[in-house]
Amino acid sequence: MDTKITLSKGFQYTAIAMITAGAAVIIYSFIAEPARAWANLLLNNYMFLSLAIGASFFIAIQHISQSGWSSMFKRVPEAMMAYIPYAGIIMLLLYFGMHSVYHWTHEEALAGDTLIQHKSPYLNIPFFFIRMVLFFIAWMVMTRLIRNASLAEDAQGGMLWFEKSEIYSKIHIFLLAVTFSFASFDWIMSLDVHWFSTIFSLKNFVAAFFHGSATVVLVVILLHEKGHFKALNKSHMLDFSRYIFMLCIVWGYFAFSQFMLIWYGNIPEETEYFAHRWHSGFKVIFYVNFFINWFLPFVFLLPQVLNKNIRVVKTIAILLIAGQYLDLYEQIFPAVLHHPVFGITEIGFFIGFAGLFMFITAKALASAPLIPRNHPYLEESLQHHVH
Amino acid sequence: MNNNHIIGVFDDEDTLMEAVHEVKKNGFEIGEIYTPYPVHEVIEAMGKKSRFTLAAFIYGFLGAAGVLAFMYYTAVIDWPVNYGGKPTNAFPSFIVVTIVITILTVTLASLFTFSVRAQIYPGKAYILPDARSTDDKFVMIFDKALSGNKTGELEGILKEKGAVEVYEKELKPQK
Repeated sequence: MDTKITLSKGFQYTAIAMITAGAAVIIYSFIAEPARAWANLLLNNYMFLSLAIGASFFIAIQHISQSGWSSMFKRVPEAMMAYIPYAGIIMLLLYFGMHSVYHWTHEEALAGDTLIQHKSPYLNIPFFFIRMVLFFIAWMVMTRLIRNASLAEDAQGGMLWFEKSEIYSKIHIFLLAVTFSFASFDWIMSLDVHWFSTIFSLKNFVAAFFHGSATVVLVVILLHEKGHFKALNKSHMLDFSRYIFMLCIVWGYFAFSQFMLIWYGNIPEETEYFAHRWHSGFKVIFYVNFFINWFLPFVFLLPQVLNKNIRVVKTIAILLIAGQYLDLYEQIFPAVLHHPVFGITEIGFFIGFAGLFMFITAKALASAPLIPRNHPYLEESLQHHVH
Repeated sequence: MNNNHIIGVFDDEDTLMEAVHEVKKNGFEIGEIYTPYPVHEVIEAMGKKSRFTLAAFIYGFLGAAGVLAFMYYTAVIDWPVNYGGKPTNAFPSFIVVTIVITILTVTLASLFTFSVRAQIYPGKAYILPDARSTDDKFVMIFDKALSGNKTGELEGILKEKGAVEVYEKELKPQK
């Protein structure tokens, strides 16, 4: 059975139009407001990278737990992983905007600040980029190995590649735990160079897994609506929404733990982070963030009548992508711009990056059969039934 | 009262389910099914519905609201104390306690609800038609009085659908 999909002309033109429109806004904003443009670049690139990383973690979990139900959909997270190399190239561009975004790169800040001096053996520009390159190499190698194992399984069959995928996934999860933690410390937490939180990396890692899984579900639903994944049934929807539901609780747990301990401890060098994020318009974002990322999925995915409903889950997944944007906006913008801004620049950047992500994911999806041929659990996935 | 029952013993879930559907198609009323582990199809096939999740949700909701109200009463209304300059209604710090006590409320209340609904209590006399259902066998029982003169037909269906054993037994509560 050939399940290769072809990209429609309309989709390709839409994606290219989004990239072009985004690129125009991006170029204009780099000339007009460089600091804001760099903050936007960091936000959007990190966001779509986190979706790709979350998808790679999703598929690694499926391999390790030898899940049967999800094997039909494994091409979707695999395709999303294809964004990682592009994210790496864009992240390297940050070299030209370090001074606009990171306070610790300024010579005069370093000279008069013992705290930054104390951190400078770790936080300096050469080491920052050495780490960045190492992280991306690790992710690219591991995701490529997982993807190639999956394609080889399609061609050859047998249990060999199934077992190899599991081994690669174990290595990938171990590497990801270390590399993504340091990556979120480097790229996001060092924006507020005087502040630190040990739960920060865990929260960002869970956010990546959470929103990456939501995006996987959204792509599956969109493909289902286009007439693919005909075997998608209520049981699959139940398992997908259980994933999102579980992760919304974990995300809420970590996000709230970070906030509550700092609020309760009330130590000036820690509270400055939230004090800054409660100024003027930022305070609304703080509450809306918890509302979208925890309250909505928790309430709407709790009853079984709603969490098996494709349209409800689709709406929640779309809202969660907005939620990841909002969560990162709250982390990045107060540190760089000091007052809330949202306008054509932010929209243009998001549309540009969303178009790029869509295009790359769709190209990767179209390059292999949508439903794997020789996965040992494929039949179980097609007949999946739970209560 | 004649308490004779027809008992069918099955080796696995699939043959049991086939027999259940076949028996229902022929209009027999299943008395009870005993399985070594929970089988959701059985509950569905017997037309039983559970509102247990709704009950658990209500317990959780009431538990959370009750704990929050209690903490608000003690910390704000009855005995306000200034802890390190924090507001007396230190809402974020209430959340952890709320989560923990909500879980405890749901667990205990569900346990008691289940015990009451299933009429299970310590020292209760129980009916166990075939002790092998606590090991690896699936046991289906029928009230003989209800099947009337079609007992033979019923036994035939059970045997045909893969029952490893079909027999008749008078059920007595055991201590």
